[in-house]
Amino acid sequence: MTNSFWLDIVQGGLSGYILLAFMLFVIGLATVLIRRSLLMQFMGVELMLNAANVALLAFGRFKNGDVEATTFYLFIIAVAACEAAVGLALIVGLYRHRQTTDSDRANDLRF
Amino acid sequence: MFLIFALITLIGALAMFRQRNLIAAGLCLVLSFIGVSGLFLLLSNPVAAALQIIVYSGAIVVLVLFVIMLLNAHEEEPMEKRRLIQRWSGAGVVAILGAGAFWVVASSKALHPTNVNPTINPTTLGQLGTHLFRQHVVAFEAIGLLLLASMVAAVALVKRDL
Repeated sequence: MTNSFWLDIVQGGLSGYILLAFMLFVIGLATVLIRRSLLMQFMGVELMLNAANVALLAFGRFKNGDVEATTFYLFIIAVAACEAAVGLALIVGLYRHRQTTDSDRANDLRF
Repeated sequence: MFLIFALITLIGALAMFRQRNLIAAGLCLVLSFIGVSGLFLLLSNPVAAALQIIVYSGAIVVLVLFVIMLLNAHEEEPMEKRRLIQRWSGAGVVAILGAGAFWVVASSKALHPTNVNPTINPTTLGQLGTHLFRQHVVAFEAIGLLLLASMVAAVALVKRDL
């Protein structure tokens, strides 16, 4: 924790982006683990995915792998879209069977 | 500029975490995603910024808001019973993982020899397309198949009598 570390963060160096990505990830993780609504948990997952994207593109810019990082960002976005579609379909399916979107109430393995 | 966009992102995320109303939480998520796309602009990556706005704050959040309105789940349902152990162990796991990740990130050797002024040539769509179709054509086709499969899966999960 030297002085230059904090200077790097404030000026938007690599450490700043990585610290921001880390804080976004922790907020998303807290949303998934503490909130009860499945839709809130879903939004937390999206936030964690975004934190990973920020870290990926920051490393790509500062370590001269920009085009490669953006290509992988494209693939990550496509997988995130798939995950959103299937996850929301699962939530809607659960609601049809149990009339709830509360993850605490979905604690049986059988319908 | 970096601090402004970082603050927008973090405030949006924290507001989403604290919000009771699910629709408002989705709108806070949009704010956070817009901050992230500003960060991508600062990383001189306009393609990623545009994709962030179009796909995340455009498509995915709208999909989530649609489902919230469809299920009429504007508020979190009242607790069935108080599960104090789960609640506090969840908070504890977040704290432990957060502290461990911070320690790993801050002590990482990859961060310290940074150059504050990276090369200033923005990533263009042309570069990206050339790279995508020269090096990653197979992955590109696989992603197309994956999108088709997930679409079929989503329809099959929700449809009642298939």
